[in-house]
Amino acid sequence: MMNEMQMLADVRLYLGLHSSFIIPHSAFPLAFGFLTPAFALAGLLLAAIPIIIHILNRRRYKIVTWAAMEFLLNAMKKNRRRLKFEQWLLLAVRCLVLGLLGLALARPLGCENASLAGLGASRSGVHVFVIDNSYSMAYEVDRPGAPTHLAQAKVIAKGTIDRLSRGGESVAIVTASSPAAAIGNGKPTYDLDAAKAAIDRIEQSAGGTDIQGALQLALQIGRDESKQPVRSLYLLTDCTKSAWETSQSNAVKQTAAELATVFKITNFNLSRGQQSNQATIDVSPGSNLLTTKFPVDYRTTVRAFGSPAELPLQWKINDQLQSGGGLVKLDSQTPAQTLSNVSIKTGGPAVITASLAGGDKLPIDNTRYLVSMVASELKVLIVEGERGMGGAGGSGAFLQLALSPPKTSDRLINGNFKTDSYVSAESIGSLELAGKVLTDYSAVAMADVGQITAQQADRLADYVKNGGTLLWFMGEQVSSDNYNQMLVPRKLLPGPLAKRMSVASDQTGYLFDFKPRAPMHRLLNIFAGEDRSGLDTAQIFTYWSVVIPNESGVERVLDYLPAGSKPGATTSKDKSTAADPAITSHALGRGRVVFFSTSAGPEWTSFPAKPAYVTLMHEMLGGSVTSGDAWLNRTVGQAIELPTSIQVSGQPTLTDPAQKSIVLTPGAVGSAVAFRSEPLTRPGIYTLNVGTRTLPVAVDVPSDEADVRTLDNPAIKSALGNVEVELLQDQLPPEAVSTQAGNDFGWSVMLIVLIMVGLECFLAMQFGHTRRVLVKA
Amino acid sequence: MSETPTDYRKYLDPRTLARISSLDLRARLIVEGLMTGMHRSPYQGISVEFAQHRPYVAGDDIRHVDWKVFGRSDKIYLKQYQEETNLHLICVVDSSESMGFTSFDKETFGPWSKYDHATAIAASLSYMAIQQQDSVGLAVFDQALSRYFKPSNSPSQWRLITQELQTIPKWNKTNTGKILDQLAEKLTHRSLIVILSDFFDDLESIKKGLRHLRYKKHEIMMFQILDPQEIEFPFEDVTMFKGLEEMGELLTEPRSLRAGYLEQLKQFTEGLQKLCRSMNIDFVRMNSGESLDVTLSGFLANRAASMK
Repeated sequence: MMNEMQMLADVRLYLGLHSSFIIPHSAFPLAFGFLTPAFALAGLLLAAIPIIIHILNRRRYKIVTWAAMEFLLNAMKKNRRRLKFEQWLLLAVRCLVLGLLGLALARPLGCENASLAGLGASRSGVHVFVIDNSYSMAYEVDRPGAPTHLAQAKVIAKGTIDRLSRGGESVAIVTASSPAAAIGNGKPTYDLDAAKAAIDRIEQSAGGTDIQGALQLALQIGRDESKQPVRSLYLLTDCTKSAWETSQSNAVKQTAAELATVFKITNFNLSRGQQSNQATIDVSPGSNLLTTKFPVDYRTTVRAFGSPAELPLQWKINDQLQSGGGLVKLDSQTPAQTLSNVSIKTGGPAVITASLAGGDKLPIDNTRYLVSMVASELKVLIVEGERGMGGAGGSGAFLQLALSPPKTSDRLINGNFKTDSYVSAESIGSLELAGKVLTDYSAVAMADVGQITAQQADRLADYVKNGGTLLWFMGEQVSSDNYNQMLVPRKLLPGPLAKRMSVASDQTGYLFDFKPRAPMHRLLNIFAGEDRSGLDTAQIFTYWSVVIPNESGVERVLDYLPAGSKPGATTSKDKSTAADPAITSHALGRGRVVFFSTSAGPEWTSFPAKPAYVTLMHEMLGGSVTSGDAWLNRTVGQAIELPTSIQVSGQPTLTDPAQKSIVLTPGAVGSAVAFRSEPLTRPGIYTLNVGTRTLPVAVDVPSDEADVRTLDNPAIKSALGNVEVELLQDQLPPEAVSTQAGNDFGWSVMLIVLIMVGLECFLAMQFGHTRRVLVKA
Repeated sequence: MSETPTDYRKYLDPRTLARISSLDLRARLIVEGLMTGMHRSPYQGISVEFAQHRPYVAGDDIRHVDWKVFGRSDKIYLKQYQEETNLHLICVVDSSESMGFTSFDKETFGPWSKYDHATAIAASLSYMAIQQQDSVGLAVFDQALSRYFKPSNSPSQWRLITQELQTIPKWNKTNTGKILDQLAEKLTHRSLIVILSDFFDDLESIKKGLRHLRYKKHEIMMFQILDPQEIEFPFEDVTMFKGLEEMGELLTEPRSLRAGYLEQLKQFTEGLQKLCRSMNIDFVRMNSGESLDVTLSGFLANRAASMK
């Protein structure tokens, strides 16, 4: 008895403290609460309405002078107690009707007690299904009625929904194919048939898995539905390692920890035993420089996940079968396969296809496409701050000679000349820059340009962000104040120019910190082991010291030896403080900026006279320019983003491999994207027509999805941060996953309300409040 | 140019009568309307003095057919005689405040209280009595006998009675039993006493007064006049009832009291009827909203039967 009283006291305390309340099941044997407590409060307020009406009626009355008053008084005297009782009874019934109506709408929630639960009409709760429809879920298994993992996921999800209580329990569905999406904007539906139909409509995607995104969406739904007494989360996935063991593993664990506080989590592992798959997971060119002048190698990575296999590899270029390839032994460590010395004689896009012949249980990833933009020439614009006489001897003359040496030395035409080089270098004065269309050039080199205007800086920044390469060379003309003001804020320099470093004319110049056998930047790899490159002996008499901010992403290609150090000596490990950078490289948007802290010519350095000069300039150019075809190579789930650098005439059109038209919408004003598609769903070669020409677009299955090796249940629990999770296999268990908790008594109370309404009508009639009797005189 | 019977019968409807201000005219029209619709006049019987012939209409007693006329003209006429009676009719009209109650809207219906209904009946009966040379007297009372006219059959009596009945009462309380006692003492000649009242008074007191009248061998007729609202009690909303004759106030929801009230009214009326039956008194309950002919013709037929 005392315990019960204590419990009631606790309940009162709880009600007083919480406006929205659901008493935890563990706290009381009779857990209760309201789904929408506001209605309960409204019901209490509404219950006062009959009393208010009663009081108002007593104050607002008609006045009648009456002759037969004695009969009235006698009737009143005789029936006073009965009348009072009737009035109180009616008033109580009316108050109860309104109060109970509010209670019914507030959805009083049930309890763990089975007999009481039997009185409740239905359970209440929200059930969130995260259905993995990524490419790996298309894996075929011998399962009756559900040939793929996704089909089985749908069977389990619909079976679970069939066990839910109609009207009381709602369903939300999240698809985990990248990008994860919540069906119906994540709003749970009480229409269980509609939910099942929505599950049936989930399409098999060829995209990757976005577990973290899906869990975040589920978490959001759970938080939005926090008032539901029962919240269940069902994960239906094939539990591939590639989907769960990613760079986002920690984020997944963190999200899972939050999910465990909101949901009861159940994981259905749909994988079956050891799964195996063979796939082509990558195709790439051997060099950034793809021109019609040089042959290039193409590499592909082929793998067998699970069981090893031996399959023939086929290469195609523009649908023409190539002679490379052959039978390849496939396992998880198969070395890259190369198609060597591919000469593409026509400039423009070329479609390279590498495919493994022979079917497996995930056939689409056996073929991979690559669109390569092959340039007929690499156009470089050299902007000179100081022009030479007759076009020669300018601040960029040595650079031009290095990049595109002339066929004959005596055929200068306005400072430019014919060349057999793959590079076509054009030299102009800084004043001519305004008249040039920068997107016509693969790279722009600024050699000793003194002042940069804000307009020029903006143009250069846009050019780089859209994929261009910008090379800076210092010189006498350079104004550090102007550069720091115009270029540093636009990230067109690695950092502010701090100090001009010079040596006296009778002193030895500064040296590059280059050791042929020490680790070096990739752009210098060509000099590795080369003792006579001249890089370590070239003297630099003047250079601009630049301060590189921390975590700026700037790569130091080559540094100067600190003053007083000898070549080959061990330098400080902390290069950022010990040495000034000589050459840096950093990304900006889709392009790169290369900074050379001394002059391009012999004004400040003896380096142009060294054999390494020409090679280094080509390496810097070749290693920095991009072929500009990254946007033509997409994976499923990504969108096509047409850069503004591509000339478009009219509305571009995009068709998928099935010739279905894909809508392209204009990008935001001022952005680098001219047009953008929705995330692509079908792998293969798309066709983009920009009016002036037609471009192929390669859309491949995410390479991660090819790895169908799976995690077992303990590993899944670990991947979820060891939170409480029910781990099930690929079959719905015979026992319902639902519980008796959360029974919704709303309809039961509504039934009582209806009975009370009927009672009120009966009483009102019985007490003569509605009855009219004709009395004859 | 003669009027059709229906033209006169409309004057039996209170809605019509309420628009006629002259009680004299009201009474004449009531009587005309009443007589036009009757096949057999209760006051033209088999007396000694011939009055006139009139054509036979279906339903007439063939004993009154003048066969001589029929033999001469092949037309059936009835002989009518002037009845000679020696009747003293005393109309006793209650003018207490409760009789002034009306539920009719003056705008749409006209002024028609229970008192108006009573005076119309009293005037009509008086008119008929004087027409056949009977003596008519009048007593108007509330808590006291405010006016009394001795019975007389002179033509001026009719004018006195109508004038008195048209006088607006003082609307005092009532004391029926005491008044009946006083009346019994005043009347020396056996009379037909017609009491027009709602009888909202003490039943025992009324009984005592009636017994006194009956003891003096008077014949009594009681007309209980009630308003339609008093009979039906049709109120719905919360109402403050302010009692007439200083009966106090009552704020109540009338729907819940309706059954109890009607029961009380029924008990009182039944008590009154029982009392009348025990004293051989004719009792008629009248609804002031209904036509007068039903009650008046019933009364006249009843009287005719009793005179035979």
